[in-house]
Amino acid sequence: MSVYKMLDGNAAAVEAIKMAKVKVVSAYPITPQTTIAEKLSEICANGELNAEYIRVESEHSAMSCVIGAQLTGVRAATASASVGIALMHEVLNVASGCRVPIVMPVVNRSLASPWSLWCDHQDTMAERDSGWIQMYCENVQDVFDTMIMAYRIAESPRVLTPVMVCLDGFFLSHSMQKILVPEQGEIDKFIGEYKPQNLVLDPTDPVIIDDLTGSNENTEMMYQQAVGFKNAIPEMEKVFSEFENEFGRKKSLIEGYNTNDADAVIVCLGSMSGTAKYVSDLMREQGIKVGVIKVVAFRPFPYKALREVIGNITKVAVLDRTAGLGGEGTPLWIEIKAALTDKNLLIKNYIAGLAGRDINIETIKSVYTDILAGQSSDSPVWIDCDVEHAGLIREVSINDRH
Amino acid sequence: MKKLKFYGVGGQGIVTAGKIFSIAVSLYEKKYAITIPAYGHERRGAPVYTDVVMDDKPILVNCFVANPDIVVVFDHTIDQKNIDVGKGINDQTILIINTSSSETAKRYKENYGFGDVYYTDATRISMDVIGITIPNATMLGALARTGIMSIESVNKAIIEFFGKKAGEINAKAADISFSQTKKI
Repeated sequence: MSVYKMLDGNAAAVEAIKMAKVKVVSAYPITPQTTIAEKLSEICANGELNAEYIRVESEHSAMSCVIGAQLTGVRAATASASVGIALMHEVLNVASGCRVPIVMPVVNRSLASPWSLWCDHQDTMAERDSGWIQMYCENVQDVFDTMIMAYRIAESPRVLTPVMVCLDGFFLSHSMQKILVPEQGEIDKFIGEYKPQNLVLDPTDPVIIDDLTGSNENTEMMYQQAVGFKNAIPEMEKVFSEFENEFGRKKSLIEGYNTNDADAVIVCLGSMSGTAKYVSDLMREQGIKVGVIKVVAFRPFPYKALREVIGNITKVAVLDRTAGLGGEGTPLWIEIKAALTDKNLLIKNYIAGLAGRDINIETIKSVYTDILAGQSSDSPVWIDCDVEHAGLIREVSINDRH
Repeated sequence: MKKLKFYGVGGQGIVTAGKIFSIAVSLYEKKYAITIPAYGHERRGAPVYTDVVMDDKPILVNCFVANPDIVVVFDHTIDQKNIDVGKGINDQTILIINTSSSETAKRYKENYGFGDVYYTDATRISMDVIGITIPNATMLGALARTGIMSIESVNKAIIEFFGKKAGEINAKAADISFSQTKKI
């Protein structure tokens, strides 16, 4: 029997980690993830969670500790954000390459520079090829549910791939919401005991793993990872369906909202999808037929599910919270464009919400209004941006430097 | 749906007040609320704000409040700190302000064009009852006078948040503030 709790996104992530009974925690604090690291250390200290907390000097070490710990045959936890994830970059690929099914909440925050504390998706987009599954959350209930399901997905013997559960900094990490939390027994039943696959390290009998691997073997091993991603799609669908049967909340790889008979949709990730749904309801009250496509899984990218949800929609606005500098479009737009390449649709790219800039009701309305007008664009549209003053260069003489 | 904006200065417990409000309506009135906190380079004494949205059904929207139905001002000097607490309001927007002075309350009503205005001397009540100048519980007591939630729910939420000992004294302060709140 689930009970209502008032939790913010970070507390919901900690609740899920606690209920997954991890045995080792190693996390380095970074805004806006800090309360995850704090709360985990608190519950390790007071015995609420029977786990060892390894203090480290960086995110690089945190991920290294978690990989080593999990390879001894237990669940291990860490969490990070922004430049913390960037510092983990090298070891993220070790985790995925060694098939260590770690589940990690990532609290989305802009990368430097300009220096920022606030939400966008640059940090996880920069890791989209690191061999981790990525799922993006809409609200705090979603953070908890996705974390729980992520353990099942990551640890499935046919997947064995680590998962990033991405939650928007502040908009989710620090937003207190009412969520349903199941009993420990129900979670135990759903995710079960950790069963290590293939490789298990014994600290009393040390061996070297992940040694230099030849070119031929490398390709074979990378292909196995690709198979893991391919298997992840049906595995996720299976886990989502079991979760719905058990707890009554529906989840899908790609969620369509108001998409039947829609003239236009916004495709997006994360907390902005809630605001987009709200605005699409408002606009439908005025007879404007618009909808939302929320992309839950970004890696693996569920292109078949996307094609099903798109149906007969002809105008597609892809709203991304990352700049995709130098690309023809942003990362989400590139995926959508590739998935729908044989369809003659208007697929237009919009950039908003960088470094916490609000994606509000007006932002969403302006995207719908623009996409409904049906004009294409060669490059992404920067919402609310002062494009008039872009690219201005001021020459600075030595004498100015006082 | 009701949209609220809390304005104050760092150290007054604005973010905590938003959370306690959310607990009160979500757990004790069977509604839904989400807090949308604006974190930044906070320091004690600098202007801060936090937003809360409540509804009878689960809330989809997750962005800052642009057009508040209720504005709660924790520090009446905020209008001298380059903060526009009248931003996005209309003549129906309710103001709750922390001041002992009906003149100050009237100044805000006239300068910004608020609808109903409620005022209470929240900082003094906090000082008298709790012994600290943090007016978050007392401002929530005043907010309950608008009828948006019951004072009983506020008090339960305060005890839930602060624990029994600190909660009960804060709840007492909220009760006193509730009864001393005046409307103009």
